[in-house]
This record gives sequence, C-alpha cells and structure tokens, in this order.
Amino acid sequence: MTRLGLRARVTAAFAVGALLLAASMALFSYDLTRRSLLEERERTAVRVAYFDAAVVRSGLDTDEPDVVEVLRSLDTGSSRRPLLQINESFHARAAEVVGDDPVPEALRRMVRRGEPAVQRVRLNGQPTLVVGVPISATISYYELTSLREVEDTFQVVALTLTAVAIMVAGSGAALGWYATRHSVRPLTAVADAAERIAAGDVTTRLDPTTDPDLTRLSSSFNHMVDQLARRIERDRRFAADVSHELRSPLQTLAAAASVLNRRREHQDERTATAAGLVADEVARFQRLVDDLIELARTEQPAQRQRVDVAALAREACRARDLPESLVRLAPGTPTGWQVDRRRVEQILRNLLDNAVRYGGGPVAVRLSGAGSGVGVVQVDDAGPGVPAADREVIFDRFVRGRAAHARAGTDGTGLGLALVAEHAAAHGGRARVDDRPGGGASFHVELPGSLS
Amino acid sequence: MTAVLVIEDDDRIRLALLLALEEEGYTAQGAATAEEGLRQQREHPADNVLVDLMLPGLDGYECIRRMRRDDDVPIVVVSARDDTHDIVAALEAGADDYLVKPVAVKELTARLRALRRRGRARTTPVTAQVFGDLEISEEAGEVRKAGRPVPVTRTEFRLLCELADHAGRVLSRQQLLSRVWGYETGDERLVDVHVGRLRQKIEDDPANPRHLVTLRGLGYKLQR
Repeated sequence: MTRLGLRARVTAAFAVGALLLAASMALFSYDLTRRSLLEERERTAVRVAYFDAAVVRSGLDTDEPDVVEVLRSLDTGSSRRPLLQINESFHARAAEVVGDDPVPEALRRMVRRGEPAVQRVRLNGQPTLVVGVPISATISYYELTSLREVEDTFQVVALTLTAVAIMVAGSGAALGWYATRHSVRPLTAVADAAERIAAGDVTTRLDPTTDPDLTRLSSSFNHMVDQLARRIERDRRFAADVSHELRSPLQTLAAAASVLNRRREHQDERTATAAGLVADEVARFQRLVDDLIELARTEQPAQRQRVDVAALAREACRARDLPESLVRLAPGTPTGWQVDRRRVEQILRNLLDNAVRYGGGPVAVRLSGAGSGVGVVQVDDAGPGVPAADREVIFDRFVRGRAAHARAGTDGTGLGLALVAEHAAAHGGRARVDDRPGGGASFHVELPGSLS
Repeated sequence: MTAVLVIEDDDRIRLALLLALEEEGYTAQGAATAEEGLRQQREHPADNVLVDLMLPGLDGYECIRRMRRDDDVPIVVVSARDDTHDIVAALEAGADDYLVKPVAVKELTARLRALRRRGRARTTPVTAQVFGDLEISEEAGEVRKAGRPVPVTRTEFRLLCELADHAGRVLSRQQLLSRVWGYETGDERLVDVHVGRLRQKIEDDPANPRHLVTLRGLGYKLQR
C-alpha cells in the first residue's frame, strides 16, 4: 500500500478533527435545543391541561352532564385532543377516533391514584404528549398534545446542524490544504534545489532568510552543498594539479625523446626500436596530460563567438591528411556559428581521430541545423559501428571501444569522446552515436544556440 | 645558424631543450636565471628567446619586461601555467608567443620558424603609409607618431603592417594569427593582447582608439 503524502495526511487530519469538533458541537446543541424545547412544550401542555381539567370538572359538576358537550366546549385547537375516562370507558369528542389504547397503563394507574402525570408516547406513528389530571376517584382527564410541530422543528435543526458540521469539516480540509501548502513550500524549494544540484549546478543555495523557522533546514542544506561543492572542486583541482605537475618532467622527456628519435639512423636496430617506443609513449603521455587538463577546465562556460565552422572542419581534415571534400555544409546552413572556437575545434579533432582509430576513417563531416538555433556536427565512419549497449558508456572517461581492445597499438587516451561530450554540454547540448545507414557509426554533436 | 637563448631554471628541462634544439640545427645557449639570461642576451644577442615564467629571483614577466626595453627579439614563453591570467600577463609584458609545457620539439621549432620568417624584411616593401599623425614605413621598419619614432617590437610592427596593408578593411583574429604569427590555428588572445599593447603606443587615448578599432565579433581594422 502506498502511504499517503504528507499534505494528504495533514489535510485528512484537519478534516477529521474539524468534523469531530463540529459533530460534537452539533450533537450537543441539538440535544440542548431538543430538551429545552420539549420541556417548554411539556410545561405549556401541563398548564393547559390543568386549565382544561378545571373547565371539565366544572362542566361535569351538574346533575346530568353531557360529557361530549363538555369536551367540545374546550378550546383546544387542532393540536390537542381531550379525553375523559369515566370508570373504565373513554370519552372523546364525537368525531374523533380514539385509538385502541391511547393512554399507557402505567400513566392511567398513577392518575387513578390521584397523581397528575405526563408521558411521551407514539400514537398512530405520531409523537404525542399525554397529560393526565385526576378529577375524581373515578374520573380522569387526559389531554393528548401532538408534538409533530416540535419534531418538525427538531428535524430542521438537525438538518441544519449536519450541514454546518459538513461545511466545517470541508473548511477544515481546505485549511489543512492551505496550511500545508505553506509548510510544504520550503520542502518544494529544497527539492527544486536538490534537482538543480543533481543536474550539476553546485552553486545552488537556499535562501536562509525567507523563514526564521526554517533557518536550520536551509543552513544545514547549504552547508551540505558547500561540502559537496568543495569536494568536487578538490577532486577537480587534484586532477588538474597532478596534470600540471606532470608537465615539467614531460617537457624533459619530450625534448630528450626527440633527440633520440633524430639519432635513429646512428643507433643499432634494438636501440632504435626502444627509442621509437619511448618517443611514441611520450607523445601519448603528452596527449593524455593535455586531455586531463582540458577535462579539468570543461567546468568553465563556453565562450561563444562567430566561428566559421566549415573552415574549422576543413582545417581539421587537412591537419590529418584527410580530403577537405569530406566536409559538407547542409543547404541553408550559415557558415558562421556562435560557438566556443576552441571547444568546437576539439570536438572536430577528437571525432575525426576517433573515426580514424576505430571507424576505418571518416566518410563525411556534416554540418547542419536542427531547428531552433541548434547546430549539429556529425561525423560518419564506415567502421564496425558501436553496439547499442556501448552507446552511452562510450562517452565516459577512459572507456575505449571494444574493437579497440581487440586491436593492438592504439594510441588514444580514452578521453577524446568524454571531452566531446563535455564540450557539447558546455554549449547546453549533447553528443550521441547512432548507426549510419549503410554501416558504420554516426556521431552527432548538438550545439544549441549556435545558429541565430 | 639561428641562435636561441633558453632561460629555464629546471636543469633537466634546460639541458633536454638545448640538446633537442641543437639536434634541430639551432645554436642554443642556456641560462638558469633571469639575470643570467638578460646578461647573456646583452653580450651575445640570440635570434630567439625561450623563457620560463617561474624563475628564482626575477620572475619571467620581469625578465621579459627588462629585455623588451632595448631589444625587439622574438620572445616565446614556455610555461607549465595555462591560466588566461598568466598568458595575458606574459603577453602584456612583451612576449610574442606563449606555449604551454610540454611542447613537442616539432611544434616549438615550427613556432620559432614562423617568428623568424616574419622577423625578416618583407619581400615587397611599400612606401610609407600615413594614418593621420601616424606614419608607417615598412622599408625603414619604423613607426612615427607626430614625427617622433615609436618603439615597437617586431611582432607589433608586423601586426601594424598587416592592418595597414588592408587599411579600412576588417581582419579577423584568425586571419591575423595566420598572417602575423603564421599559425593555421591558435590562441586568439595573442592577437587581442598585441593589439592592446600597440594601442598604448600609437593611440592618443588607448581606451577610445581612433586608428586601430575593434569591430565586435569580427576583428580589427586600421583607419585614418
């Protein structure tokens, strides 16, 4: 079962609380109203019954009393019905039908003993108040008062109170929703900030001044991000420092290796081979250090300017003894792109080197626009392509294509495509690899905002 | 034979560079400190100077500044530092080029050759060009402002001549890099810093240049 969210739970609690409160208030008010109304009604009924009983008593105080006439002389209205018990028989006004047993036995006994009594009964489904007044030892006067109106009033009151209770519960829920919106807002801010940090923006901080109650949360959050940023910076600096420290000894090696290389013809075969190995490895070492330093620098934003990317691509081909005719500018694509020259230069260089090393040489360098200002640099090769499983990981650091492991004598640094991805990211874009129709791999680098 | 002076405090790097340069046909001398380098350059002027920035005593920047006072020899910085700040500071001190260690010997000699080429007199000398109170005489290798000679380095002079040859037209930073420094591709800061230094010398108000103007996103232009 999924747990309800904080907001839903708080809202539900508010609603239930409000409902309980409103319901108990309603019940209490209902009970109070009912009781006081009934008591009032009873007092009135008893007073009227006494008065009527007095009238009946004086009416019967003749030699030949006409019971029906006496009862009729009472001014009872429609809500009261007089009833006279003489010995065991009941007398009512002629037109009225007396129920089988309108007066409960217990009441009758009390009245017969000479005590006036009151009881609430249901008569023909109607709530009725029976007031009994003893007139003499054999005669009892009863008055049946319909409580229908009072009951109707109770119903209206109950209905109203229920409606109010429901409304209060609803308001409680709304209040809960509203209150949690405010109390959850800082959490939303934290979540947003965390997302931005996960996306790589470690400069994100929470504003610690927005709410004094949340200062601790925001300050500890900010402290955590500070630590994280410091750690990332430290790692980055370490890589950069190591690379820098390697530069000076590498300079010695590079110069010394070039001397050895120059003197090859004066060396015996074994020495020449060893010297060649040293020179090659020093060159690779040098590229590796350059790439590492470049990677440490990729955190900096792209410095955009107008660059003739087609010319840059042709130049990159020329430098690798590749035909300049490989470069194809899609029709309608401007030659001047707003990009970071150094980064695009490296993108082209690394993709071409990659195609030469692992893809059997590039077959096309395509420059095109993908709409909304996105410039696309695409390098196609006719090699074995990149298996679908490797297409993400190939852009990670120090990952070389599977084909590369099989092939001996590779001189790549394992950082070329990682740098391509980083440079694309610096432009707000991305790098990916697809199958080229007709075999081979097709590397795409999207550079948003380069075609304006 | 081209003489190169290598000012580098790391003995091994200096030795290896000297060996490699000699192997490439240069006459190379070494100096372990800036003071020593300045003295050698005074006594036996070399055709090119390579200088490291981190030197004991006088640092590389100061070494370049002092050498520039009375010498227009092409100076190339070879340093392990690659911050924009360091590069710009070294170029502003008067260096002609900046290379980050480790430099392949092939790359180093290519740069030295390019600097040498443009150091020589041009094959088609043009008569003096006049831009307001500015007078550029390629034949005499001289720049005069209001009649008085302005001391410029060879690189600055080449830059000025290139802009004068295309007077009134824009040259992009890349075009200038290739025509003045001989680089097919390179660091455009090189151009910016040299233009800035040139303005200090030829403009009345370097902050609001009248002759050597910037066209944002396009490049530089020399006008009357």
